Amino acid sequence: MGDKMKTSLSEKKLILDNRIYCGEAVKLAAFVFSGRADIQIKPGKSASQVLIGARSSDLTAGDFMNEVLNQQCRIDLAKKNSKIAGIIVTKALLSAAGKKG
Amino acid sequence: MAQKTAAKKSKKTTSVLPQVLWRKIGASYLLTNDSGHYAWLKEKDFALVTAGGMTELHPLFSELAVKGFIRNRLDFNDLAAKWKKKNAYLNYGPGLHILVMTLRCNHKCLYCQSSAAGVGDKKTDMNLATARKSVDFAFNSPNPGITIEFQGGEPLLNWEVLKGAVEYARKKSGTAGKELKLALVSNFSLMTEEKADFLLKNEVSLCTSLDGPKNLHDKNRICSSGNSHSDTVKWIKYFQKRCKKQVTEYRVFKPSALLTVSKYSLPLHKEIIDEYVSLGLEDIFVRPLAPIGYARKLWGTIGYDAADFAAFYLKSLDYMLKLNRQGVVIREKMATMMLDKIVNLQDPGYLDARCPCGAAIGQIAYNHNGDLYTCDEGRMVGWEGDDIFRIGNVFKDSYKKVMTAPATKVCVVSSNLEAQPACARCAYKPYCGVCPVYNYEVQGSLWGNIPSNDRCGLFKGILDTLFTLLKSPGNAEILKKWVTK
Repeated sequence: MGDKMKTSLSEKKLILDNRIYCGEAVKLAAFVFSGRADIQIKPGKSASQVLIGARSSDLTAGDFMNEVLNQQCRIDLAKKNSKIAGIIVTKALLSAAGKKG
Repeated sequence: MAQKTAAKKSKKTTSVLPQVLWRKIGASYLLTNDSGHYAWLKEKDFALVTAGGMTELHPLFSELAVKGFIRNRLDFNDLAAKWKKKNAYLNYGPGLHILVMTLRCNHKCLYCQSSAAGVGDKKTDMNLATARKSVDFAFNSPNPGITIEFQGGEPLLNWEVLKGAVEYARKKSGTAGKELKLALVSNFSLMTEEKADFLLKNEVSLCTSLDGPKNLHDKNRICSSGNSHSDTVKWIKYFQKRCKKQVTEYRVFKPSALLTVSKYSLPLHKEIIDEYVSLGLEDIFVRPLAPIGYARKLWGTIGYDAADFAAFYLKSLDYMLKLNRQGVVIREKMATMMLDKIVNLQDPGYLDARCPCGAAIGQIAYNHNGDLYTCDEGRMVGWEGDDIFRIGNVFKDSYKKVMTAPATKVCVVSSNLEAQPACARCAYKPYCGVCPVYNYEVQGSLWGNIPSNDRCGLFKGILDTLFTLLKSPGNAEILKKWVTK
């Protein structure tokens, strides 16, 4: 998948190919784990570097990569589906508030 | 001439819609679309359809055309009407209003062991002013029909306020121009004839928890008297009797019961179903346990994975179908709700499996102190100390403010299947839904990560079972009867 994982007892280091994972997906994934892990992102020209700190013992590199993939797929899907998704959300919220959508 | 037309006809090929959804189950392919239609295709026919090679002479062509799977045969008006009917809930506001009368409980059930306050701890009782304000708030919903459900804790521990709220709601419905349904969820251990009379006269429907035969029920639902099962059964029988002797002044509803499946239930599907049948209960809701709130902390002891539940569900449905063939009336509620979507293409009002989910826009949970939550599961997360799903307070916030609260919006956005990568392409999208509270509790974000989400596994297991059963004409006949209006 164009990414590399390097783990040590002290920290985990991941290198993510920018052609596959955009910066937003990496940041969103880091945000998901922000409550239970120290995550550092170092953006680069062709790849982003992610460091998962030593305190974050329960977060595996695999967990993080799954979440980056999830976020990237959401971003890609939004490019295609945002119109219908927006219509459904708007209709649901306006109707619930008692306004005609 | 006729020969010429046939030859011309056979050359016409077509292709499926680009947004057709599919899933391979066994050797067959299940096709679905947004209007809720489905069709089964064998591998060679699936290949033919996806390659755009199906001709009008093909035996499946007419069926696929009628169901909206053929690009150049779409009846847009018909498909749009079906989509609208199936998603009718998008036009209304919250219909279910859950009033938590108290957090006190006289049970210490395994799955919510520490979530209930002690019986003597009256600090968590809703007072009458809050109950009335909550009823007023519920009537603000634009939904023409509202259900007020009283629950807890054990709501009968706060009887006087419950009684006052029922009277107030009935009085208010007389002038509000809305259809009002009242419901009580109770373990029945504190029920008396006087309370029962009041509830029946006010047309309050009654629901209890029944986890199966005595040994299993009492193992899951521990109560100080040690007789949870006996109390429950006694009052189910009482309300069944009252229902049979209808009176002219008011309607007496059949009592219903909810089953919570713990790890201990898994080997006992027959015994559980037999218990329901023996009590004359015609519906059984085979509800999976969710690792939300305090059940999450006990998951290692009482929980199970999606595959275990799917196996239990299949065995349970198989047994219920067998009983149906013998003339016994017993339906599975999850199946009934899903079949309503699959067979009747309509919304059964199941808030957990719709897009977006029912959080805030379909239901509101009213805590004892007037705090409002997106749903009862969201309230449980709040009880653990995290108020992420709190959307307001009945005394401080207007209905409009609650419906535009950040938690309301984010639950709607994050449970929109069109924005969930795995769901947007799933064959079960027309019938399914995700739960932001589950995602948050189990996976740490409201959107969750659906491919590794066990709730998704549960729903896929249930829908795989139902669609597979529907393939057999004998089973289909019974299942369709469950949702014949």
